[in-house]
Amino acid sequence: MAEILSVLETPLGIGGITLGSIFWFVLIIMVATAVAKFVALNIKRALVERVPKNDLDLLTKVVYYIIILGGIVFALPYLNVELSGLLVAGGIVGLVIGFASQSVVSNLVSGLFLMFERPIKIGDNIGLNDIIATVEDIRVLSTIVRTFDGVYVRIPNEKVFTAEITNYVANVARRFEYVISIRYQDDAERAITVIKEVIWAHPFALKNPAPSVYVDRLADSGVNIVVRIWAPSRVWWDVRTELLWKLKVELERNGIEIPFPQMTLTFDDELKGMFRIDARGAGEAARTPLQQEENAPPIRGDGDGG
Amino acid sequence: MFGTYDYTFQFENEVILAKIEKKNGFFQYTRICNGSKEEKILASDSGRIIVNPVEPINLPEEVGRHLMIEFDPIVVEPHTSKKIYLTFPIEIGVFVEAKREIEVLDIFSAVDQKYTLYGSPDGGVIARWHPSGVFAEIPKTYPLKEGVLELGIRNTCRDWVEVSRVVFESVDMKIYYGNIVGMVAVMKILNKHTAEMDFLDQPLMDGMKKSIELYTARKIPAIQKGYLMEWGLN
Repeated sequence: MAEILSVLETPLGIGGITLGSIFWFVLIIMVATAVAKFVALNIKRALVERVPKNDLDLLTKVVYYIIILGGIVFALPYLNVELSGLLVAGGIVGLVIGFASQSVVSNLVSGLFLMFERPIKIGDNIGLNDIIATVEDIRVLSTIVRTFDGVYVRIPNEKVFTAEITNYVANVARRFEYVISIRYQDDAERAITVIKEVIWAHPFALKNPAPSVYVDRLADSGVNIVVRIWAPSRVWWDVRTELLWKLKVELERNGIEIPFPQMTLTFDDELKGMFRIDARGAGEAARTPLQQEENAPPIRGDGDGG
Repeated sequence: MFGTYDYTFQFENEVILAKIEKKNGFFQYTRICNGSKEEKILASDSGRIIVNPVEPINLPEEVGRHLMIEFDPIVVEPHTSKKIYLTFPIEIGVFVEAKREIEVLDIFSAVDQKYTLYGSPDGGVIARWHPSGVFAEIPKTYPLKEGVLELGIRNTCRDWVEVSRVVFESVDMKIYYGNIVGMVAVMKILNKHTAEMDFLDQPLMDGMKKSIELYTARKIPAIQKGYLMEWGLN
C-alpha cells in the first residue's frame, strides 16, 4: 500500500503534477461521465411518455453536458489548473482556437442559435436547399435529417442556419390543391356538388377553413375544376392521396368522366379522308385523292404511311 | 355497455359487436363497429375489462387535443349567467386492468368524425368538430353515440355577447356515465371575442360513475388547466 502511495506521489516534473493527481483527474472525469450517462438515461426513461421527444433530447443533452462540465471544473485543480488563471488564458487561447477552427465555431454557434430560435424541431418535415426530409436530430455541430427514401444526411449547422428553410409542418394546418378536368358535356355544377360531398365525408378535410371548389378554366380538352382543401399538417399527405382517388371514383359513379386530351381538326377543302393508294414499287407509294381528275398526276407518298 | 367486466365480456347491438372469447388457449378481444374490426390477443388470465366513454379526440387518429361544439347562436345578456345543455360525440374506450395497472385496449366510435381549425393555421388548434342543438333541459341521447354537456355561461363583460361555439381541451374533460353520458363545464366570457373554458369534476346527475381518463391511463401529466378561447366565440 505504501508503495502504491509513493508511486502516486511521484512528480512528473510538470508544474508539480503527480501521478496521483493525474489518476484523480481521470477518475473524476470518468465518474462524471458515468453519472452523466446514468442521469441522462434515467431522465429519458422517466419522461419519455410525458415530454415531447425533441424537448426531451434537448433536456438530456443539457443535463449530460452540465454534469461533465461540473466534473471538469471539479477535477482541474488536481492538475494545478486555477480557473481564475484560465479566464485570462482562456481569452487568448479562445482567440487562437477561434481563428484555427472558424468553421467548427461557426457550426457550434449556429447550432446554439438553431436550438434557441427553433425554426425546425425533431420530427418536422422540412425542405432545405435541394433536400426534402424529416429532421432526426439537432446536434451541437450538425443537423441530421432522413430523406423520404430513408437516406441519412448530415448537414453542418452553419448551412442549416443560413439556408432558406421550408418547414412543412410548422403550422397546424396546410392547404393542398387538385385540378380535376371534366368533359364539356358533363354538368360542372353536379361535379362540384359531388366533389364537396366527398370532401365532407373525409374526417381530416377540415370544415374550417372551408374547402374551395370552383370552375377555373375552360381548357382545350375539358372544363378544369380547382379543388382546394385544408388538412392538419400531420396527416395532409394521407388526406391528399386518399381523397384524389375517392373523387375520381365518385365522379365516375355519377357519370362524370375525366376526358382524355383530344383535338378536333376541321379541313377547309373537302378531302374527307378519301385517298387512292398508288403503289410504285417496294416501299414507295403514292396516293391520289379519289375526287381528283383522272389525268391529274398522283400525289407521291414518302413511304412512311403518312 | 359501459361498466367493468371479467373475461366473459360480450356486447352486441345493431351497430357494435365487442367480446372476449377463448381461442387457441388465449383470450382474444374482438370488436366490430362501423365496418372496422379490431382483434387483440390477451396474454393474461385474470384481468378485468373496463368499458367507458373517453375524450372524443382519438379517432381516426389523434391530430389534436381539442373539441369544438358548434350550435345556433346564443346572445348572452351583460353580467348574467345562463345554463344550457349541448351534446358531444362519444368515443368508447376499452381498457384492460390487472394488478392495478390499466392499459388501453381499444378505442372506437359509432359516430363519424370531422375536424376543423380553430384560429389561424400558425397559432390555432386542430379540433374535433361536433354540431349540437341548444337545450334548456337535459336532452334525450343515445349514450353510445352522444353525451350531454351542461354548460354554465357567465358573461362578465358589459356588452351583449353572441356565442355559437365552444372549444375545450381534452385534458380537462371529466366524463361521467350512467343512463346517459355527461360532462359539466363552465364558460366565463371575458369580452366579445374571448372566454375561459373549464370542466368541473362533478357528475351531471346523481349516481353517475366517473370514466377513466385517457391521460390518466396513458400516464400523461396535465400541466395546463382550462382553455382560453381567444380566436372568437362565433
